[in-house]
Amino acid sequence: MVDNLIHLIEIIIGTILVGAFGILFGLLTKGIDRKLAAHMQWRIGPPIIQPFRDVKKLFCKENIVPRNAVTWLYNSAPIICLASTIAVLLYIPLGSIPPVLGGYGDVILILYLLTIPSLAMVAGGFASGSPFATVGAQREMVLMMSYEFPLATTVIALGWKISTLHPGSVAFSLSTFARYPVWNIMGPFGIIGAAILLVVMLLVTTGEITKVPFDIAEAETEIAEGLFVEYSGKNLGLFYLADAVKTVVMASLIVALFFPYNLSTYLASHISLPTIAWQTVDFLFYLFKIEIVIFFAMTFIRVSVARFKVDQVVRVYWGYLTLAALIALLLIALDVLL
Amino acid sequence: MNESYTIPIGPLHPAIHEPITLKLEVSGERIVGVDVFCSQVHRGIEWIGMNRNNAIQSIYLAERVCGICNICHPLCMVQAIEKAAEIEVPERAEYIRTIMAELERIHSHLLWAGVAAHEIGFDTVFHYTWALRENVMDLIEYLTGNRVTKAIMMIGGVRRDIKEEGAKKIKEGMKFYLENFKKIEEIYLHDPTIKMRTRDVGILTKEDALKLCAVGPTARASGVPKDVRQDFPYAAYGDYGVKAITPDVYNGEVHGDVFDRIIVRLLEVKQSVDIINWVLDNMPSGPLLAEKNLVKLKIRLKKAEGEGIGRVEAPRGEDIHYVRLKAGEEPFLSWKIRAPTYNNVLPWIPMLLGGQIADVPIVAASTDPCMSCLNRVTVVDTDKKKEFEITKEYMHELSVRKTRRLMRNGR
Amino acid sequence: MMMNEVWKLLFKKPKTNKFPAKYAPKNVHHFLRRVQSGKAKLVPPVPTPPDFRGKIKYDIDSCVGCGLCAQVCPSKAIEIVRDKKWIIMHCKEGATLAAPLKIKIYVSRCVFCAQCVDICPRKCLQMSDEFLLANENKLDKSLIVPGP
Repeated sequence: MVDNLIHLIEIIIGTILVGAFGILFGLLTKGIDRKLAAHMQWRIGPPIIQPFRDVKKLFCKENIVPRNAVTWLYNSAPIICLASTIAVLLYIPLGSIPPVLGGYGDVILILYLLTIPSLAMVAGGFASGSPFATVGAQREMVLMMSYEFPLATTVIALGWKISTLHPGSVAFSLSTFARYPVWNIMGPFGIIGAAILLVVMLLVTTGEITKVPFDIAEAETEIAEGLFVEYSGKNLGLFYLADAVKTVVMASLIVALFFPYNLSTYLASHISLPTIAWQTVDFLFYLFKIEIVIFFAMTFIRVSVARFKVDQVVRVYWGYLTLAALIALLLIALDVLL
Repeated sequence: MNESYTIPIGPLHPAIHEPITLKLEVSGERIVGVDVFCSQVHRGIEWIGMNRNNAIQSIYLAERVCGICNICHPLCMVQAIEKAAEIEVPERAEYIRTIMAELERIHSHLLWAGVAAHEIGFDTVFHYTWALRENVMDLIEYLTGNRVTKAIMMIGGVRRDIKEEGAKKIKEGMKFYLENFKKIEEIYLHDPTIKMRTRDVGILTKEDALKLCAVGPTARASGVPKDVRQDFPYAAYGDYGVKAITPDVYNGEVHGDVFDRIIVRLLEVKQSVDIINWVLDNMPSGPLLAEKNLVKLKIRLKKAEGEGIGRVEAPRGEDIHYVRLKAGEEPFLSWKIRAPTYNNVLPWIPMLLGGQIADVPIVAASTDPCMSCLNRVTVVDTDKKKEFEITKEYMHELSVRKTRRLMRNGR
Repeated sequence: MMMNEVWKLLFKKPKTNKFPAKYAPKNVHHFLRRVQSGKAKLVPPVPTPPDFRGKIKYDIDSCVGCGLCAQVCPSKAIEIVRDKKWIIMHCKEGATLAAPLKIKIYVSRCVFCAQCVDICPRKCLQMSDEFLLANENKLDKSLIVPGP
């Protein structure tokens, strides 16, 4: 009984810490992304702390609910969106720190949880009762349905490979992915397959965090921010935070699936440091990996292409990326069979 | 999903930077009906020209019809006045006017290219093009004294000469654009995502372009070789011999889509560079103004009686000013501006029908609309709630009636 | 392809003009005060070319008050006023004490076309290269030529 209580308190404190980390680091990441994107566009860009200022300003502003909106849904959508995004972060290891809810779910659960923020956004869009938001919500649904399949294929291919090599382990648990890094267990075909899956995953991330070229749901010049057209003040601020956390979540997922390496495992034998110091080093290394992943999944892509149209997005995800993911799956299967 | 609903684009919308309303009938993502509502703002420019200002003041008013076309509007108006008052423009002034008009074309087309990139979500290209545009803006500032409002036109000539130093700067600037043209061409015409968004989007067939009287690059991209500089040369264009650019110059085929409009505009930038270089090399010497003394000019304009039409190929298409002067009165008796956007708004309808919502910004932007030029049209009274179509015959009758009225006022 | 170009741009110096500072100051007045006391550094604006059309300069002494400038000013920024100084004017009727006609230019209305400079028979109007004229008050002392 007491044990349970202590465990519960641990989880609550962990959740608060992880939530704070997700929000703060997410905003910092946004700042770095904006700075790098600006430099790639031949300009200086805002200071790195700009997103913090933006959020501060949004939280000072009035919350306006349109007359023909469904008020309760309209107001609860941002909260659900942020909460569910932070919930995903609880299942992902942060560097060598194990996830807060590590024992309670695996990658499949994460895949399901990832749809909730999008669904909340869709609900909020439909609830705001504006034609632009409706178009945005429809587009978000299309986008969600499009990237789900390549994403699932990627995770399943990797999990299946691990389960065939280590039949005893819990196949889809992220700790298993951390214990057997993808690149170490693959043969030559498998490595090609995994590389393809990495590219697919990076592009799926761009869609998941709705950035150019897949930002059809909130295309500014077409449907005036689409889903968020009616949102203002705190509600918009919450969506902004959810977007920031989602960036960290998706990058962390890629890091956990593809680059679960920690510096401590390789350097601990050479340099002796206390455990807590190693955990700090690993954590910083993990942050660095996240930044690299975000640079390629978000910043670089969004500055170097134009926005796609809905049918083109569907073609990219259902056509090219699904095909690539299936080819990668075949390659990995070949690897298993040989 | 046969249920269709209406989406209003404008009067305030991030895609359309100026007040105009597009009512889109949408089924899913597909556009099944388009309606355009113009005249959301009325600035009374013609009224000021006819009631408050004298001719010299009106030059600067015409300059402010549109922020970007602030050479072609005053040039057009000045031409109309010169015809009405029978003033001969010295040759050197004509050449300087040509240089200014072409510099304006370069800056306007680069500005448009940046905006078009922004409309399809390609902000890097937007910033990149505008950074390149800075050079021509600096050149304009050097030559005229200000970046945007150039204030160089005067009735019977131009107000500033291009000296040797200026000519050198222009040459350098033109060299810069010739060097960078390759880069711009590489970005706009070979980038796969731009091609994906613009190829076969917003098609305007040659028949529609002729029927709806499209002008400028919009018409030329549909394969209509129509260019005032070629058909009715003014300033120094007659000496140079401009040839209208159609997309088949570039790749031998005409689609009439947004991509073709990009081709036409980019090639026109290059054409402008050539024209400026030629004009600089062949610049005659001589006076700048037909009447140097402004007081005398003012008196002469007050005495003048007559009417004149100015036609100028603005970056967006043909611009027409009609001016009528009456002896003894300083303001114009009549002043009518027909800006190119007026013609280019109607072609939006065939362009957008059957397209997607995502196409609206780029298709609308592809005609380079400029509402500040457009909005001087009388609004039709809709109180009677009677729907009627204005047929070509009725339109013609209305035009005849208006012309008669203008002529009666003239007497 | 923009992909190659963005890599080059990433390591290129940004083209942005850093006037008045790299990042917009929180409070411009505060920033300017700090510049004056030497605590902050102002990035200078792009130099203006010769014959730039900036804030108008007026030589009140050589003005004869003919009013031609007010007639051609497109924005009616020029007002004809009586001078504050009374002078002895020699007319047909003999010498009288009168205030001569002068002009007053409202720079907040000025469109910087320099038409008045062209038409002035005494060349007492000139365009300077001063262009930082933003002000909260349209009738500020700095925006009326000649000053009080």
